[in-house]
Amino acid sequence: MSEELKYTDAFEELQQIVADIEDGEISVDELSIRVKRAAELIKFCKLKLSSTEEDVNEILKELEDPEG
Amino acid sequence: MSEQPQVFTLRQVVSSIRKTIEERYNREYWVKAEMHKLGQTRSGHCYPELVQKEDGKIVAEMRGTIWKHSFDRINAQFIKVVKEPLKEDSTLLMKVKVSFHEIYGISLQISDIDPNYALGELQKERAETLKQLQKENLLDANQKVDFPLLPKRVAIISADSSKGLSDFMKVIEQNDWNYSFFTMLFPATLQGDQAEHTIIAQLNRINRVKDHFDIVVIVRGGGGEVGMSCYNNYNLCKAIASFPLPILTGIGHSTNLTVAEMVSYRNAITPTELGDFLIQAFHNYSVPVKEAAKSIRLFTKSIVELNRSKFLQASLSFKHETRQYISKNHHLLIRHVRNLKTGLIYALQERKERIGRIEQQSSSSCKYLFQQEHRKIQNSLQALPIHGKSVIRNTQNELEKIEHSVRLMNPINVLKRGYSITSFQGKTFSGGTGPGVGDEIITRTEKLVLTSTITQKENNNE
Repeated sequence: MSEELKYTDAFEELQQIVADIEDGEISVDELSIRVKRAAELIKFCKLKLSSTEEDVNEILKELEDPEG
Repeated sequence: MSEQPQVFTLRQVVSSIRKTIEERYNREYWVKAEMHKLGQTRSGHCYPELVQKEDGKIVAEMRGTIWKHSFDRINAQFIKVVKEPLKEDSTLLMKVKVSFHEIYGISLQISDIDPNYALGELQKERAETLKQLQKENLLDANQKVDFPLLPKRVAIISADSSKGLSDFMKVIEQNDWNYSFFTMLFPATLQGDQAEHTIIAQLNRINRVKDHFDIVVIVRGGGGEVGMSCYNNYNLCKAIASFPLPILTGIGHSTNLTVAEMVSYRNAITPTELGDFLIQAFHNYSVPVKEAAKSIRLFTKSIVELNRSKFLQASLSFKHETRQYISKNHHLLIRHVRNLKTGLIYALQERKERIGRIEQQSSSSCKYLFQQEHRKIQNSLQALPIHGKSVIRNTQNELEKIEHSVRLMNPINVLKRGYSITSFQGKTFSGGTGPGVGDEIITRTEKLVLTSTITQKENNNE
């Protein structure tokens, strides 16, 4: 779930930056900081589309664990 | 001595019973009963357990018999009409004949089962399930679960060998956009009697590791249209509806929508369509990300451009304004200097003129004054001789008068006229003072000076 939150958050933050930039609400001073952040978010989002980190063995272990 | 009782052989008894039953139940009846177990043997004949329940308790029970040829016919009819094979634990309307076999005992020989009744019963079950879920407020419970922005971790409930599963996997694994899903299969039977239990069991397993998954999909395909009534089963539908993750179904059939499909988060007609839906969800995430990158590039550029042109404009207008200001002030200065000059010249001229005027005025008034004075003097000069003569004459007259008076007043003249002057101690006297008796006084006449001593003194009372 924490991972899901991360890519949802990344997506939402990215959308916000785009909206701010489109609305012209970002000053030139902030611009480079926000664009840098947006680039990080885009990279992260794209990575999420093409990679998975879940481990089947881990899930199976949890399934076998009677406590789990 | 008792009579020897009549002894029958077992066969005789059983035969008798059989005869009696066959005579008594000599035709077929329609009987409603629940088929608890089908009890199909390897030979294809079935020996189902038929029961009647009241309040969950079995109140009647009897064995049935379906010969293979009847069973095949009935089953075909069921699959055609009900889209389900004959199913255990369902209430059926059966055409039966009571039969008794010497070895196997009494049973109901089933020659036909009404598929329409069974269909009605299934529809009833479907309606019951819907009603019950509605009562429990579960109909749209799964649809209210938040769908993940990126449904990338997929728990799959399917059969290992299912064509539906391979269709689904093909779509999500061989996509052209390099989208990567994490999938894990939770094998289950997807149709028929076993479906309910195996699917529920797998849902329970997934629930234990639900944090590793975004969604659950139930895919089935290639199994034809039969055995779908499990998806109207209350327990299964409830398990789906109340599951904490979104459940998506793609169980591929063309009959009426099952309750399970109705209560799931989303139903796709086929596993392929379900796969496409997930790919679309990735697109929905990916496209805005790409758009965002594009937008940011575009807008950043335009913001920089805008600011650059603003700056340029500002510096240009600064230059222009400065120049204009300087030139304006330069002109102003020149004008001031000019004004000052003309003002000074004018003022000087004015002063000069004024002085000239004053000069003129003063010279003319001086002249006038001079003239006036001159005239006065002239007048005076003219008047002077006339005056002088008259003054002299007057003066002469005066003088003559005075001379006459003086002549008249001369004591000599007085003396000549007989008067005398008496003096005492060198001075004339009058009034009360003067010399007393015995004093010597001198009296002057015209020709004589007489000295006298006073003998008498009296007051003149004239």
